[in-house]
Amino acid sequence: MIPAAGFPNRQRLHFTRASPKPYICGLSLRPPEGYGRGEVNQTNCQEADFAGRSISLLIQPHETAERAGPAVRVEHLSLKYGGQVALDDVSLSIGRGSSFALLGPNGAGKTSLISVLATLREADKGLVEVAGHDLRRASRQVRLSIGMVFQDPSLDDRLSAEENLDFHGRVYGMPGRARADAIDRMLDLVELTGWRETVVRSFSGGMKRRLEIARALMHEPQILFLDEPTVGLDAQTRARIWAYLNRQRCERGLTLLTTTHYIEEVEDADRICIIDKGRIIAEGTPGQLKRELGQSFLHVVAATPADHAALLAAYPGAHAIGAETLAIPAGEEDFVAGFLARFGNRLREMRFEGPTLEGVFLSLTGRVLRDRTDGEREAQRNAGRRAGRR
Amino acid sequence: MNSFLPILRGIHGVWLREIMRATRDKGQLLGGVSRPLIWLLILGVGLNPYFRGEVFGEVRLVLPYSYLQFLFPAVIVLNIMYTSIQFAVSVIWDREFGFLREILVSPMPRWAVLLGKVLGGATAATGHGTLVLILARFADVTLTAPQVAQAIAYMFALSFALTCFGVVLAGKVRSFEGFGVFSNTVILPLYFASSSVFPLDPSLTRTQLVASYPEWLIMLIYANPITYAVDALRGILINFNQFPPQIGFGLVGIGMIGFFLWALRSFGR
Ligand SMILES: Nc1ncnc2c1ncn2[C@@H]1O[C@H](COP(=O)(O)OP(=O)(O)OP(=O)(O)O)[C@@H](O)[C@H]1O
Ligand SMILES: [Mg+2]
Repeated sequence: MIPAAGFPNRQRLHFTRASPKPYICGLSLRPPEGYGRGEVNQTNCQEADFAGRSISLLIQPHETAERAGPAVRVEHLSLKYGGQVALDDVSLSIGRGSSFALLGPNGAGKTSLISVLATLREADKGLVEVAGHDLRRASRQVRLSIGMVFQDPSLDDRLSAEENLDFHGRVYGMPGRARADAIDRMLDLVELTGWRETVVRSFSGGMKRRLEIARALMHEPQILFLDEPTVGLDAQTRARIWAYLNRQRCERGLTLLTTTHYIEEVEDADRICIIDKGRIIAEGTPGQLKRELGQSFLHVVAATPADHAALLAAYPGAHAIGAETLAIPAGEEDFVAGFLARFGNRLREMRFEGPTLEGVFLSLTGRVLRDRTDGEREAQRNAGRRAGRR
Repeated sequence: MNSFLPILRGIHGVWLREIMRATRDKGQLLGGVSRPLIWLLILGVGLNPYFRGEVFGEVRLVLPYSYLQFLFPAVIVLNIMYTSIQFAVSVIWDREFGFLREILVSPMPRWAVLLGKVLGGATAATGHGTLVLILARFADVTLTAPQVAQAIAYMFALSFALTCFGVVLAGKVRSFEGFGVFSNTVILPLYFASSSVFPLDPSLTRTQLVASYPEWLIMLIYANPITYAVDALRGILINFNQFPPQIGFGLVGIGMIGFFLWALRSFGR
């Protein structure tokens, strides 16, 4: 952990743990001793050695960013499929260069919201501005400034990796040289250079996903929509991609809008928006949400089934997690002491969990947020494909 | 101008993808080669002796052409029809496997995407038509360079119109599986109910025609645009027309524009 005391102004101090080199974005601070303001301002992103760790400092031009307006502005957006409400009076604003996470259970409307923002679906009501352009009046400008990683596969699997990227570059109007450079760069980023000429059909799921991310970044969009982007990626690749995305945020103010089921990725976001049944039910920084809505839980495994029943009877508010574990809300100060006095010798395992986003999610929706299994995902993907067919 | 060049690049990209798809699809290529061979070598050669001369002691037809020569342009049109209308499969494929969304979030206007796709499909179909031209000497058709150029230009226009028609069909079909059957039920009746495999003798009056063919068939043939499309190509290749060739050219022109606009309405919705 970096001692925050080193930063005189602690506002929005934040770095991603996922990346091997942490990045600090959106800081408005007086640089620490030894880093004069002028020095830092020379480039947008400054490598600094701090507390023995290498850090990239971003001195974001706050004033200009604010003058340019938010990257995404949504006001009173509603969307229906037939009679079924998918989005209900959604309003939100995403600052430029920030990382915004949409969190919600299946069918919450995350993909629907992203589809509207990406001009794939027309909203029934409401105002949407993306990259400063009105969605209805300047959809071409909007589409030029966004990159999209779809939840469902969207590669042409009869083409090679390179041909997929080349197609993308052409369709985005990139000239030959820029296209070739971008292809090299992107294949390198997602470590598919060796697979350049291989037909995508023979790729693994994770490789396809990587290629899709590379493709979405290829034309250097201002805003990147990632609909559950890192499903099926191993931890190493995930870290690598997130490091790249964060560097892009630092260096050129890339804005990220992510939906994900990996809670640890959401924790790294600047802002989180929890959405359920088409409505926004909470929004704020991860810290805020945890402070305001989070609850501490005691995760316990009873020694015998009888103890299990006794625990349930004593704490009706407990949630069952799996077959054995119980999550007991541990709100009050001396809860743990009292609990131990009563049940201390009737437990097999016990773990204290401070306020987490999982807890926030649980208390807001009454559901546990967990990863869907792959089988379920596939079934849903097919169902979506069937529904999407006209 | 500023936004024109990128769009042109995009159209080229979409076109290129269709060409790659067509040249890598071995099945389609095989069909494109074997179909004309079967039609010309088996049907054409087989029926050639019966075309002219006496059938049961009665002269039926007085045409200065052999059946092979007569059939040759029609086989080109058939090859084009198959490839163009099968193009719908590419559109359905994009829609079913999610690639369409990748295209629709791109900054390319919808008309440009469709234009690129249709140009690609039309290029492939023209290629399959041109394949048949190589067989010209087997059908006793001698061609001059201007004739070949004219024929290819006309074939491209026809392919364009039919490819747009394929896109319209794709908008109406929900799944792949049915499309093969569906396309056959569209292509073959259209093809047979034109004067492609049997001639309407232009020297006969309508009353005389009715004497040799049933009325409903003649009605069908007159109402079928493929009749005129084949006829115009015959004019170019073997200098034989049953109708004024302008009708064929006009219909193809109208088809290009009409079907393109219709396809645009259904595309990507
Ligand atoms: N094409 C469609 N036609 C009809 N209803 C749809 C369609 N797409 C989505 N829906 C409905 O809209 C609601 C929101 O779906 P959406 O795909 O946006 O959810 P999501 O939050 O992305 O879920 P997931 O986590 O499963 O991806 C769901 O109830 C779904 O059934
Ligand atoms: Mg979704």
